[in-house]
Amino acid sequence: MVVDNISKRYGEKVAIRDVSFRVKKGEIFGLIGPNGAGKTTTLRIIATLIKPTRGRVYINGIDAIKNPIEARKYIGYLPEEAEVYPRLTGYEHFKFYSWLRLGYVDKNVIDLAINLSGLGERIYDRASEYSKGMKRRLLLAIALMTKPDVVILDEPTSGLDVYAAVNVRKTIRSFVKETGITVILSSHNMLEVEYLCDRIAFINKGRIVAIGTPKELLSKYNATNLEEAFINAVGGEEI
Amino acid sequence: MRGFILSERFKALMWKELTDLVRDKKTIATSLLMPLIVLPLLGITSIALMGVQEVNIAIIDLDNNVSYNPVLNISISSKDLVSLLSNELKKYGYDVVVSHNESIAENGKYDLIIIIPKGFSRNASSTTLRAKITVLRRAGIQAAIRAESLVNSIIDFYSRKLSEIKVNAIVKMTGINATLESLLDPLSTRTVLIGIGGKVVGFEVEFRSYLARILVLALSVVIMPATSFIIDGIIGERERKTIEMLLSSPVNVSLIIYSKLIAASLLGLLTALADAFGLIAYITSISLVYSGAIFFLDPYILLVHAIVAFFTILVTVAIALPFITRTRGIRSASNIASIVAVAGTIMFFTGFIVDYTKLQAPLRTILYFIPYTHSILAIQNYVLGYSFEPLINIMVLALLSIGLILLSVKTLNTEKILLAPPT
Repeated sequence: MVVDNISKRYGEKVAIRDVSFRVKKGEIFGLIGPNGAGKTTTLRIIATLIKPTRGRVYINGIDAIKNPIEARKYIGYLPEEAEVYPRLTGYEHFKFYSWLRLGYVDKNVIDLAINLSGLGERIYDRASEYSKGMKRRLLLAIALMTKPDVVILDEPTSGLDVYAAVNVRKTIRSFVKETGITVILSSHNMLEVEYLCDRIAFINKGRIVAIGTPKELLSKYNATNLEEAFINAVGGEEI
Repeated sequence: MRGFILSERFKALMWKELTDLVRDKKTIATSLLMPLIVLPLLGITSIALMGVQEVNIAIIDLDNNVSYNPVLNISISSKDLVSLLSNELKKYGYDVVVSHNESIAENGKYDLIIIIPKGFSRNASSTTLRAKITVLRRAGIQAAIRAESLVNSIIDFYSRKLSEIKVNAIVKMTGINATLESLLDPLSTRTVLIGIGGKVVGFEVEFRSYLARILVLALSVVIMPATSFIIDGIIGERERKTIEMLLSSPVNVSLIIYSKLIAASLLGLLTALADAFGLIAYITSISLVYSGAIFFLDPYILLVHAIVAFFTILVTVAIALPFITRTRGIRSASNIASIVAVAGTIMFFTGFIVDYTKLQAPLRTILYFIPYTHSILAIQNYVLGYSFEPLINIMVLALLSIGLILLSVKTLNTEKILLAPPT
């Protein structure tokens, strides 16, 4: 997956500027930055939900800006603030998204989603009855179930308690190992990123300030943890 | 294959929308119950409230006399009129007080005061004078207007009775051959109701025309639930944070909007059917109270109404759609939908009081560009007995609905749906 020099403006406000990076197949790539740094805008552009003011995104060689619908066939997306349809059951969510993504209801896909979500018998309950952690697991399973080539996870553990967050991280990690899919995720939780990501990009005020493996970044910025590395990378400027 | 996949994806969207709609008990209940309840309630409450309105009537007989006309050999008494008025008004449930004292008019209790002045019976029995009765009615009270109308009919009846007595007396005295009608009503008119092509029609056509007005007015009831549903479908998805995942699926946003429009239209169709049944209940309650019989509605009128209501809903949603998708939230989207619905209601209200079929160019030509004009014309033309014109009106309405929807969807912007415009 290639993100080539993308910028996005909302009127006078620049959300991201000249963002570029490449993510290899089977890699988990993390986008780290504070709130308002441009993580969500970058991920929404990759997910083809918004168009960049300039720049290109290629997914499996497809120009995602020119052919968004074609590109979406290879994308799984978990937005930061995604919610469930309260009147549908967990099972019906899987059925709907399998039907919508693939053009047919695939029982194997649904079985995989049930397994990934870990909802057990609760899968037949209305989603309105689920806890926050259960809802997030349900949505994560939807993003992963069709084994898309690229999975975009925006703050996958946002708002979850420790147990639920650990559960989600384990699911992501084991699923990527099993399937070899590419993941790009955003987070402001440095521990999470360190645990999950093969490579990381620091983003601040809409610009990528550093890219590398966690080890490379720690060494480059002479830091003991990623938080420190991030602060050193942005030069101590106000974030 | 591409078409097949697209259609399968559309089926998936429809399945989701309909499953969600069927389980949304509150929306279904409101959409069905509103028209089912509003129209019969309108009939029942207006009848019930009309019946319980208190109208106090005073009859002040200042004459309280009997007058004898020796020439005609007739006696006229003010008491006869007082008694007739009092009995008839009481039959209709009015409170009637009879007095011979003028000061009763000053206590402010009475909504209608009938004053029979001194000399009434003398004048009434005369062949050269007219007896006058004064009716004082409290201004601004509808029930008093209805009571006055009844008083006038009773007085007309009594007046005619006096004429009959006098004419009979004169005929008897002079020995000429004359009838009451030829002396009192030498001219008469006869109205024959005619329909298309000059064919004589019955009074029921007049009733159908009244019904058409109610049907047009009833359209205003059905447009709101469907617009609320489409607002919830689009802005609600954004606010409930379900839209991002949906939009990231390999389907065009227009397909998502079409699925929501179809679901809203199906809800609209249900509302239209409920509206039709509500109308039956309204007509039944009105006809039972006023004629004691049940008026059977032409089922085709209801069919035309349901079809017109369906397309009226579709056109309303199509007009509101581009604005809805550009709003900040449900509240502003609802405000816009309300503006469209109010504009529709204004049109339908004019359809209640104006015969659109009789409007002249250029106004009529201008109105043709407003979709609701065709909703009104379709119903009014059908009720007048035309068969081709309503079909044209419905077709124009359908084409306008579809055209506006295509235009609305074409101007859609995923970003604008996804991200609320900045405040």
